[in-house]
Amino acid sequence: MLDKRLLIITGKGGVGKSAVTAALALRAAYDGKRVLAIAMTDDAGLAVHLGIEQLRYRPTHIISGLEAVAIERPEALNEYLRVQLGVPRLAQLGPLARAFDAVASTAPGIREVITIGKVLYETRKGTWDLVVADGPPTGQIGSHLRAPATVARLVGAGKVLDQTGWMARLLRDTTTTGLIVVTTAEELPVTETLESLVAVDEENLVGIENVIVNRTLDPLDGDIDQLGDGPAKQAALLHSALFDEQERWIAHLPDGPRVPYFFGLHTPSEVAARMADLWGML
Amino acid sequence: MSAVLITGGGGVGKTTLSAGLALAAANRGITTLVMTIDPAKRLASALGLDVLGSDPTPLADNLWGAMLDATRSWNDIARRYAPPDVGPRLTANPFFEAATQHFPASQSFAAAEEMTVHIESGQWDVILVDTPPAAGGIEFFTSPARMRSLLGGRLLKWLTGGSLPGRRLVYHFTARPALRIADAALGSELLEAVAEFLIDLRAAYDGIAKRSREIEHHLAAAHKVVVTTADPAPLSEATKFFELENGTPDLVVFNRVLPESWYHATTAAPAPFGDNLVRWGTEAHRQAEARRRFSARWHVEPATIPWLPQTPSDLEKLEQMIDSAAGLDLDRLFS
Repeated sequence: MLDKRLLIITGKGGVGKSAVTAALALRAAYDGKRVLAIAMTDDAGLAVHLGIEQLRYRPTHIISGLEAVAIERPEALNEYLRVQLGVPRLAQLGPLARAFDAVASTAPGIREVITIGKVLYETRKGTWDLVVADGPPTGQIGSHLRAPATVARLVGAGKVLDQTGWMARLLRDTTTTGLIVVTTAEELPVTETLESLVAVDEENLVGIENVIVNRTLDPLDGDIDQLGDGPAKQAALLHSALFDEQERWIAHLPDGPRVPYFFGLHTPSEVAARMADLWGML
Repeated sequence: MSAVLITGGGGVGKTTLSAGLALAAANRGITTLVMTIDPAKRLASALGLDVLGSDPTPLADNLWGAMLDATRSWNDIARRYAPPDVGPRLTANPFFEAATQHFPASQSFAAAEEMTVHIESGQWDVILVDTPPAAGGIEFFTSPARMRSLLGGRLLKWLTGGSLPGRRLVYHFTARPALRIADAALGSELLEAVAEFLIDLRAAYDGIAKRSREIEHHLAAAHKVVVTTADPAPLSEATKFFELENGTPDLVVFNRVLPESWYHATTAAPAPFGDNLVRWGTEAHRQAEARRRFSARWHVEPATIPWLPQTPSDLEKLEQMIDSAAGLDLDRLFS
């Protein structure tokens, strides 16, 4: 997994997408890589899992080898206009950015192309061994991944169109880029995972690196019936019922890494650190 | 008439609780409508929701359900509140669907509008709204104000030129230097189409702004229920409601609750059940501490629903879920 240059993480809200992103970034940094973690749409989750208050557009130093940023407008827009479209002077950026913003709120794909464009630009420029992106939830991942194509259809001419080709190519390049879908073994997350896998595959938008199942339980061997009534029996019954329910949904998913349920962990950064240790053992 | 808004972060069980509460209300003989967004298949079929459209459909005695369709709602909004000559042109615009989806709090505003229409219809004693998951449902309350500031905002004024502009502006769109650069970046066809759309959108401002204040009034008057688990992400979403003017919850519900007695249990059980109890007990203790911290900080007495291994898959199991809840004052909620 970590031999890619860009990993984009998605998943239904609440499944632990940001925890996995933070853990992968930490693991790669422990292993001596230069890593950038990017929060694409919502920065709060990644920030707390990295143990900091807030992420900014300017990189925040997390640990040796790991920096993290959030994609904030209007900074992302300004950088896009300056670096990718080659708009010459900063003085002109204000009004142009406003015009652009209006178009971006109206026309499909433009806002998404700026977001995914930043991630791809960081990957391409060669400063980092690995870029790990905490992506949009499964419901929005398609519109982000197909944004270069959407914009190319929409924009008949102009510099924005010129930028879409390399973006789509870099996304599809499976030696560089991989999508990781995080899920829990429950009905809605698994359903959304399968839907997003089909969409991504049919449209050949990006290579699927992995489906990671988070918060999985191990089987509880032993005869529950021999237990007398009480908490031990109640906990055993709940555990095995949850385990059976999980197995039922896991059966629908392709093989992939499982992350165990972490009992009794209090903070998001504890969870990410534990997960990063776990990746080290895999 | 009482409107009940079920809010909270993603994956905490909002839709299931909305369905359970709606059923409980209907069982008390209250004429109830539940509006939902995207229910799980099993829950949907339990409620008969798989055939559900955006118009209310009967589900059980006294119980109706409606699915929220944001695209259709925005078509309705444009038709109802834009000037008669502008509405059809807006909805026919190729950017309409993408633009309305991109508006800040778009789905929330559409949901709040649908809710208001149903409140005004006078057909229901109780309306339960399963709020859209974006931003933990907080957007639902801020959406009317955000919609006003988008449509009446500086950006739109600046772009479309001060006071309500004439349509010929479009054809001089690239006369200004900044827009010439935008033209080079995006191409003039796109810019003109967008400008035309925005001009029509601005013409709809007065109607939508007036409506948004009515929606705000109904949101403020509604009962608010915040659903959370003891996990940090949903808890921080829940916190936002207490920091919001007019958003203070009437009820906080902790879902997936383990009995804290497991932590103090001393019964020796054979392997592997002893160790299993210890780890679940540790988790129960963590949950209880998180719940106590939250309750003390916001001076609330939360209701609790035990951790069920399966999402309720029929009406009977939904009823059992509500019955198993502790501290849930249904009379107050439906009054």
